[in-house]
Amino acid sequence: MKSAFRNAYYLTLSRFSLNPNASILHLVPAVSTFSSPPSSVFKNLSFRSPLTATLSSASMVGGDSDAPQSSPSLEKQFEKFRVELEDSGILRERIRAVVLEIESATRLMQASLLLVHQSKPIPEVLEKAKARINVLKDLYNKLAEVVRECPGQYYRYHGDWRSETQMIVSLLAFMHWLETGTLLMHTEAEEKLGLNNSDFGLDVEDYLIGICFMSNEMPRYVVNQVTAGDYDCPRKVLTFLTDLNAAFRMLNLRNDFLRKKFDSMKYDLRRVEEVYYDVKIRGLATSGDSVGDQGTQGQS
Amino acid sequence: MLWLYSTSAVSRRISVSWLMATNSKIKPQRLPPSAADSSLALESSVKRANTMSTHSSIKDAFSIYTDYLNALNEKRERVVKASRDVTMNSKKVIFQVHRISKNNKEEVLEKAEKDLAAVTDQHMSRLVKELQGTDFWKLRRAYSPGVQEYVEAATFFKFCQTGTLLKLDEINASLLPLSDPSLEPLQINLLDYLLGLADLTGELMRLAIGRISDGEVEFAERICRFVRDIYRELTLVVPLMDDSLDMKLKMDTMLQSVVKIENACFSVRVRGSEYTPLLGSSDPSSFLLGVSDVEL
Repeated sequence: MKSAFRNAYYLTLSRFSLNPNASILHLVPAVSTFSSPPSSVFKNLSFRSPLTATLSSASMVGGDSDAPQSSPSLEKQFEKFRVELEDSGILRERIRAVVLEIESATRLMQASLLLVHQSKPIPEVLEKAKARINVLKDLYNKLAEVVRECPGQYYRYHGDWRSETQMIVSLLAFMHWLETGTLLMHTEAEEKLGLNNSDFGLDVEDYLIGICFMSNEMPRYVVNQVTAGDYDCPRKVLTFLTDLNAAFRMLNLRNDFLRKKFDSMKYDLRRVEEVYYDVKIRGLATSGDSVGDQGTQGQS
Repeated sequence: MLWLYSTSAVSRRISVSWLMATNSKIKPQRLPPSAADSSLALESSVKRANTMSTHSSIKDAFSIYTDYLNALNEKRERVVKASRDVTMNSKKVIFQVHRISKNNKEEVLEKAEKDLAAVTDQHMSRLVKELQGTDFWKLRRAYSPGVQEYVEAATFFKFCQTGTLLKLDEINASLLPLSDPSLEPLQINLLDYLLGLADLTGELMRLAIGRISDGEVEFAERICRFVRDIYRELTLVVPLMDDSLDMKLKMDTMLQSVVKIENACFSVRVRGSEYTPLLGSSDPSSFLLGVSDVEL
């Protein structure tokens, strides 16, 4: 008798493809129309629909019990999460909006600075570029205000403004060098951008990477200056880059992005050395007289 | 799992930097939690340096940067080490809980609780000490894997103990006693909690399959419902997470886990009942003893 029931049961089920995803347990109650089976096997076979099974097991669990839907405390927790994440998402959108503006102001500053390669007089170029700094100062202020709304989370969103900041530091450092021949310090860079408060500063690694980017510009600048007849430039740049390189070698860098940028600085230094050598052996470095074909040879 | 550290290289670098540091007139301090603190130190050194030549002022400034980077990297290494220890020991807790069956539930859970408390007291406490201020987000990549594993172990244990989900608030409350009142407490952030939760479902899947092979189908079905609920709740929340790509991949795995459990429960109902009596409330040693059957 038992086996007959079992066979019938499995026959019923086998008619449908045993697609596990189909909720097949709802077919089970249909079997009860055959007759009420006395065996304990069938009793245990889930005539408990998922709903009743939940209720019966719920009664044995101490503490929070699983209701047919997920428990209210579970729902509450995830609702709280959702709200939190939505808020941080909105904050990130606002940060990104400000960063876009920073990016475009940076591009304008960079475009004006690039004129220096075309031998426009330095004071003029610097004038144009400096005008942008105030714009940037305001934008960074705006950014700081947004970030201030979630204290302590500077580094959560840091990735969103990291590369723009590095670029800006490199431009500022280059401008500073054109003006004074010295290296822009971390604190000076912070001041220029109005980042002087304790909650939104200039990250030291961003600053160092920005300096590396600045050094990447030097070889090109030197080459163009020599072409234009300024034979003193290589010597100045060489001393500067050598000092900078020596300073960087003091840092114990691990194998990260900053390390790679520092490594590229060696090639900048080498290129400038080559230009200086070319200019020196042709006796150009001492006097600024010979222009023209001598100058072009200086670029080999 | 062997964690090899080139400790000799590290100590060599440290000694060099200390030589450099002693040349500068600033005493090296603990890692400043924000860039601004280091800028205050920099400012004072720059003011002093301006009286000297450019050459040495660059060197002075860079010795400050060296100190900053050394402190940061050393801290990062300590955090990574602590995180790895948390990971290893949390995995042990998980293995311990996996041994659970209807016969040994009490002892297994007792040992697991002890082990989990050990992880908290011995290893999570190290993270508490190191992570202050902006470190929580700055060094997140260093400690996140450890914290995720810890969340996984703690929630796994709680489920086997009570059948419920350990909430983020609860787990954070348990971490409060670890820190001095003067220190900022380590509070697991939402993102690490959710990532740990995703890993939890994988372990639950393994547990469910294991329990089914021991005939504890009811337990497995409870796990199934639990995992379904978590998956459902997470689908609303995951797209909003920072860098949600990792989590999205975990969601795919999670759905596979849910389906595996569902299939296993289905298979045993359909096929297994023919050969072995299912462990139901009639079995005197079952933890479902006393639960009334519903007959249709």
